[in-house]
Amino acid sequence: MSWAAHDLEPYAFQRHLNLKVAFVPLLLGSYAPDLMTKWFVYGIHVGPWELKASDPAQFHRGWPGFGFTHALTFGLLIGLLVWKLFGSRLWALSLVIGHWAHALTDTGDTLGTMLLFPWTFHFHIDAWAYAGQTGRYTDAAAYFSGLGGMWDLLWIVYGFFSWRVLTSTYFNEVIYRADAFWPWINRFVPRGLLLTLYRAAFFYGVSRWIAWTIWAHVVHDYPYDLTWGGPHWVPAEHP
Amino acid sequence: MLAPDLPGRKDLRVFAGYCVAAAVYIVIGVFYVDFLLSVIAGMAYLAIAAWLVPALVRRLRT
Repeated sequence: MSWAAHDLEPYAFQRHLNLKVAFVPLLLGSYAPDLMTKWFVYGIHVGPWELKASDPAQFHRGWPGFGFTHALTFGLLIGLLVWKLFGSRLWALSLVIGHWAHALTDTGDTLGTMLLFPWTFHFHIDAWAYAGQTGRYTDAAAYFSGLGGMWDLLWIVYGFFSWRVLTSTYFNEVIYRADAFWPWINRFVPRGLLLTLYRAAFFYGVSRWIAWTIWAHVVHDYPYDLTWGGPHWVPAEHP
Repeated sequence: MLAPDLPGRKDLRVFAGYCVAAAVYIVIGVFYVDFLLSVIAGMAYLAIAAWLVPALVRRLRT
């Protein structure tokens, strides 16, 4: 799984896609595959009970499980539903692009995703270890010690290279005009706050990358292992 | 010759404000890592640090 790429990808796509896209569904699509499942992968405490998947990797990426949420076919289905229910081709297309970016990015780890579900074959590049089953802290430490963290760093650099998409001018002239959602929400929320919220995922992705890196390698001393499929000090899940 | 696409002074001033907000966020996050796990908390923090606080300061100045 990726920890920051899903926050950063929408800005890069916004900059380089010549298609007209709407930013909000692009971001929602990018978050969508993990939105309902991540908490159960890591587990949460509700009073005396711990709610956690008995097999987190299977639950997150497999079948039976919720692995279908990471399939291109699922993204397409959600896009079609949005198009039919809300009548917006722009929102549907943007949602699909965001979702597909997430699903394809997650093929980078050792577990991969069932891109063509209901075909349950896992597409996986094995560049970094999938360690979601170890819990959120070990997973974070592993991710920011391997090529996954470097993958996120690429998106950060690319995001800064595309700095114009973060300016108020770009927001006012492109983002705001491309989608009727913004003028609608602007009736209740000031434009300055909307601009801040538009920038929030980028801010969140970059800040979080820096904070987790410091946490893993300065506060703790998890070793870097930038070899293919690493870090090898964590037990990686495979299909 | 192509000129590099660099941000202007106004853009850099805005960027500096976000850097200060990020520095505080990172310090909090390193010591209370659960703070880093929530997108909602991150967005709420940014709304306060990068919009509400500057808006209040501007209002107090006028």
